[in-house]
Amino acid sequence: MNFGLSTPMVLLLLPLALLPLLRSAQVPQNFPSIEDIETDPVSVAVDWVLRLAGALAITALILGIGGLHGLGRTIEKTGEGAHIVLLIDRSSSMDNTFAGRAPEGGEESKSAAARRLLKDFILRRQHDLVGVAAFSTSPMHVLPMTEHKEAVLAAVDAMDRPGLAFTNVGRGLALALDMQEADTSPAARVVVLVSDGAAVIDRKVQDALRTAFARRPINLYWLFLRTEGTPGISSVPAPGEEDTPQAMPERHLDRFFKSLGISYRAFEAENPEAVGHAIAEISKLERSPITYTERIPHEDLKGRAFAVALVGLLILLAAKLAEVRLVPATEGA
Amino acid sequence: MTVAPPVDLPYQIIWRSRALRQGAHRSTQSGAGGLFRDLATLLEHRDPRRIDLRQTLRDPFGMLHVRRFEERSQIGVTLLLDVSGSMGFHGAARKMALAADLAQVFAAAARRAGDTFALYAADDQVHDALSVPPTRSRTGEETMLAALRAYVPKRKGASGLVEAAGKIGRKRSLVVIVSDFLLSEVQLEALFAALSGHDVVPIRVADTRESATLPSWGLFELADLETGRRRLVVMRPALKAEWQRRIEARRAFFRSLAARHGREPFEITDRIAWDRLGAHLAAGA
Repeated sequence: MNFGLSTPMVLLLLPLALLPLLRSAQVPQNFPSIEDIETDPVSVAVDWVLRLAGALAITALILGIGGLHGLGRTIEKTGEGAHIVLLIDRSSSMDNTFAGRAPEGGEESKSAAARRLLKDFILRRQHDLVGVAAFSTSPMHVLPMTEHKEAVLAAVDAMDRPGLAFTNVGRGLALALDMQEADTSPAARVVVLVSDGAAVIDRKVQDALRTAFARRPINLYWLFLRTEGTPGISSVPAPGEEDTPQAMPERHLDRFFKSLGISYRAFEAENPEAVGHAIAEISKLERSPITYTERIPHEDLKGRAFAVALVGLLILLAAKLAEVRLVPATEGA
Repeated sequence: MTVAPPVDLPYQIIWRSRALRQGAHRSTQSGAGGLFRDLATLLEHRDPRRIDLRQTLRDPFGMLHVRRFEERSQIGVTLLLDVSGSMGFHGAARKMALAADLAQVFAAAARRAGDTFALYAADDQVHDALSVPPTRSRTGEETMLAALRAYVPKRKGASGLVEAAGKIGRKRSLVVIVSDFLLSEVQLEALFAALSGHDVVPIRVADTRESATLPSWGLFELADLETGRRRLVVMRPALKAEWQRRIEARRAFFRSLAARHGREPFEITDRIAWDRLGAHLAAGA
């Protein structure tokens, strides 16, 4: 641990700490002759304890006055986790319940459920680096990759704001990949896409995503918050219905993801419990070793320095209180 | 505490002074006055005024016999005063004040008895400023006492006492040593050896605060008055007993050494018991 002083000039006073070693705090009392009397080990020990206590007290006081602090620093540690980007759908449909209505009474909207469960997930994952991005009509860079849980939780909370109408999955994904791009560590990379619907991805955007995904392996999880009665990921079009991305965007987005050749899983959730299960599943899957840095903050050690000084001074005070005079002061001089 | 010193302290000797000068003490001189001592022929003692007719007539050879009497002579009184640092101890009393009181009384007593009085103050050397050469005069006595009362001992050692012993002279005299006798055994022996020709009255000045009334518990730092060395002491009953044992052992050594060289020492603790000192000196041994 490295230490620093706010006012290094006080170190000039440090030689004062030698004073107790040279002079004792007790009042010397004249005595005819001590030469003949052997030194007593207990007294010698106490003498040294008092001298060291004095030196310690002065040193600690000087360091305290100088503002002793431990320097902040970062250390690398290894744990289990991943670098996760939460890509959250902010389209207005997310503010509805799973039943597709505006929430009433005790009902929970899809975004509220997702928020609650995601926050839970973030809190349980200790060493993850989490970034947050949102998308509706256009993607929004909410929070860069960070390990500050409070920031992530706040970003997830910000999903609360009413969203816009459209769902632009393609550009959202591109943004999430960008966010992972800057990160060069060998940790596992995860993109969690939380949405309640899909949209057609432009052919050009599809190509760009394909290249981006090919460049670096990314685990993609799609948490599909399905509204009751709408087509699911695995819905097969009824005979006679057309099987196009425009008609069945979920089915085609899923097929696109599967075609990327990356580790991909889709979770279809129709109620908050299912969302919870899906998140627990993701949590279980993403357990690869990760090196993460832990920041040790700048630590104020003044208080401790003063506490040490207090201990030294109390020892000296006790010695002073235990001091006796051979000749009562009233008779002196 | 300040008992006024008596004007006189009659001291006696059990030996005979060899001094020619008349005084108050028994002498080896024979003369015309005092106690009858023996008879001698007129040829031996040419004092026809003291012819003993009876003895002369009784002598078959017809020799003239003369009565001889003991003369009383003076003696020299010397006070050897230890002014080393340890005498600066101020406990229940000031050791130097006690020493000055003793000097005052001995000077007066010597003057009254017609003896010479000399004072040699010494630590590791003889202090001429404080010392008074042998004198019968009263002049300078006040100055001497004032100087003694004002003196603050600071130097270490008492080897000057041996040097001062050499200044006393060869004629047997009464030597009063006033000291705390915190000398090393070697120094003590040297001092008594140097004074072996004299009648030595050691007076040991002690203080209850340096031994008897030491606190049983407590912490204090002592500064040795001789060496200036400091030592922290955590006093407790066991250590106090140990200290007192050592101080007592030192005192016992001194007493046996003093007794071997003549007189039992007189000890002063905190205050001078003048009547006891008078009795001690009057006993003469």
